[in-house]
Amino acid sequence: MFRLQGSKTLAVDLTGDAVKAKNGSMVAYDGRMAFKKMSGGGEGLRGMVTRRLTGEQMVMMEVKGQGTCYFADRASEINLVSLHSDTLYVEASNLLVTDAGLRTGTSFTGLRGGANGNGLFTTTVEGTGRAAILSDGSAVALRVAPQYPLNVDPGAYIAHQGRLQQHFRSGVNFRTFMGEGSGESFQIRFEGDGLVYVQPSERNTLGGDV
Amino acid sequence: MPFREINSKMVEAVVSPGRKMYSQRGAMLAYRGDVSFTPNIQGGQGGLGSMIGRRVADEAAPLMTVEGSGTVMFGHGGHHIQVIDLAGDTLCVEADRLLAFDGTLQQGTLFLGSQGGVMGMVRGQVTGQGLFTTTLKGHGAVAVMAHGGVIELPITPGRPVHVDPQAYVAHHGDVANKLSTALGWRDMVGRGSGEAFQLELSGNGAVYVQASEEKL
Amino acid sequence: MPEWGLPGAAGPEGAFDPMTLPSDDNVNAYTFCVELKGSQWFLQKGKMIAYYGQIDFNGIGHGRFERLIRTSFHSPLHASDWVVAEGSGKMLLADRAFDVNSFDLEDGNLTIRSGNLLAYQPTLALKQSIVPGFLTLIGTGKFVAASNGPVVFMEPPLRVDPQALVGWADCPSPCHHYDHGYMTGVMGGLRSLTGIGGTSGEEHQFEFVGAGTVLLQSTELLMPEQATGAVPHEPGVPGGGSGGGGQHGSTPRMPGQLGDLQRRFGL
Repeated sequence: MFRLQGSKTLAVDLTGDAVKAKNGSMVAYDGRMAFKKMSGGGEGLRGMVTRRLTGEQMVMMEVKGQGTCYFADRASEINLVSLHSDTLYVEASNLLVTDAGLRTGTSFTGLRGGANGNGLFTTTVEGTGRAAILSDGSAVALRVAPQYPLNVDPGAYIAHQGRLQQHFRSGVNFRTFMGEGSGESFQIRFEGDGLVYVQPSERNTLGGDV
Repeated sequence: MPFREINSKMVEAVVSPGRKMYSQRGAMLAYRGDVSFTPNIQGGQGGLGSMIGRRVADEAAPLMTVEGSGTVMFGHGGHHIQVIDLAGDTLCVEADRLLAFDGTLQQGTLFLGSQGGVMGMVRGQVTGQGLFTTTLKGHGAVAVMAHGGVIELPITPGRPVHVDPQAYVAHHGDVANKLSTALGWRDMVGRGSGEAFQLELSGNGAVYVQASEEKL
Repeated sequence: MPEWGLPGAAGPEGAFDPMTLPSDDNVNAYTFCVELKGSQWFLQKGKMIAYYGQIDFNGIGHGRFERLIRTSFHSPLHASDWVVAEGSGKMLLADRAFDVNSFDLEDGNLTIRSGNLLAYQPTLALKQSIVPGFLTLIGTGKFVAASNGPVVFMEPPLRVDPQALVGWADCPSPCHHYDHGYMTGVMGGLRSLTGIGGTSGEEHQFEFVGAGTVLLQSTELLMPEQATGAVPHEPGVPGGGSGGGGQHGSTPRMPGQLGDLQRRFGL
């Protein structure tokens, strides 16, 4: 149902069912499709408050119909992820499409990036099904295990799965490592058991909206 | 003359006396031999009128004539390049996406968005896209750029393809285009107001769509 | 494209860990993995995206690495762009989703645009090239370079658009070539008087003659004349026009970062 056409376009074959997709990411389709805007964070008053608080620009749309719909986003590379009753944490702007059956929400990630402009909140995708995430350049999936924790540049972080703890480090090591404006003096350290996706680029996400 | 793809972002073409090419200004990356690059006032064939027509339509298509004897490597802005070979048919492409093409092809302009009038104007302003596109007809090769590369979607009778106008790169064949606002679209607030419109292509041919909604 | 899920007993395909990451080799076209075993590598700031193990990053010119600098780094202009990575572990390098590749120099001499050089082993010596914006690496060792699209290798004689030039190896320095043909004649006169017709943008190239290899990429800079009716959203169109830095089109950057590009490309 999710097919990659090249590495930057996702083709989704729909037979009356639906998917959730990032707003504006449809580039072409054939057959008959209906697009409906959904509000991120949940419905109603609580949803609105959540969105305000989180500043998450997670605006998704629901795409339903018969035919094939093609999605892409700024020529970013697309990576397919499978979920089996677990949770994927992903930067809002890096989420392209999810099966309609997966639940999307927002979660507080703590001081991961508050100081340098990254959102304090991130998008969660829960359940069983498939999702497509975006990266600037093909992403690399890195395993984390108790024997080997991982340090990641915040601008390169896209998503993670599993039982992981994040620590925001502005280490002594980086005292002289003043980088390009933001994000460089800080690192995220992942410990536990899981998978972290990084992109070969340092696109900063400001409040979830690039 | 055929373009040889060196990699996804660079093509090579052989230029020989009597066989010139047109390319976008600044598209030459390197060359060997004795080749001259002359800016083209006319913007290709079509004379002064064509250039003015284009400027009015906000389609700046600054071209240059490439002639001489040698080999030229073309590329631009690191964009992906797609080579399309025409065998007598017509290719309709956004002028600023044209990287280089055979000098023997016949150039023209086409008003895209046949509803014209208000709809066409609105589309032009709203999506920031030119109202006019360039047509190339004949036998020869065309190198087209796109942001992130293109996918080719076939258009068959009875199965029209709908394209986001900002992702549209080019199309060829016997294809009719129609600009419409589909009901579902109005509910969507995309990143730009261009989302309110879509381009419907029907007939027989293929459309090239880029993996992005950004203009080059 | 690989597909990943939660690690099971065997681990998903496509996911890496410190054991499976390659040592000093590409992970994918855009990511390179360097293994440090108590050793050092020079790298450009901001190009490290993740690492396993214990690695320290320190700026150059901060006292500790005097001996290293004396032998391996001779570019005061670019000192602030570089750091030394030291320790044990595996680190991933990448740059704006450009293609990265490593090259081995064997008692060689390579000049590369400063913005395209990502990292190198201290066995190589880095010096400033006579051509502004370029660095010369001399000696034997490995280095990692980034380019917009895969690097294309060509041999002279060749004329190259300045922005398409990545570097040259074992080759005499290029000279400037100016094409004045278009200036002559009636049309040329008209152009210089009225500016109608503009320039082809191809008036100036680097000319290479002799032996050696020239490295090219699809140019990353958008020429000012290319501005079409729509305003490009890409920050790759700097206000400075043809002299400024350039970047991969799809990466929006924070406004504060643009200033570094000018310096990075040394133009």
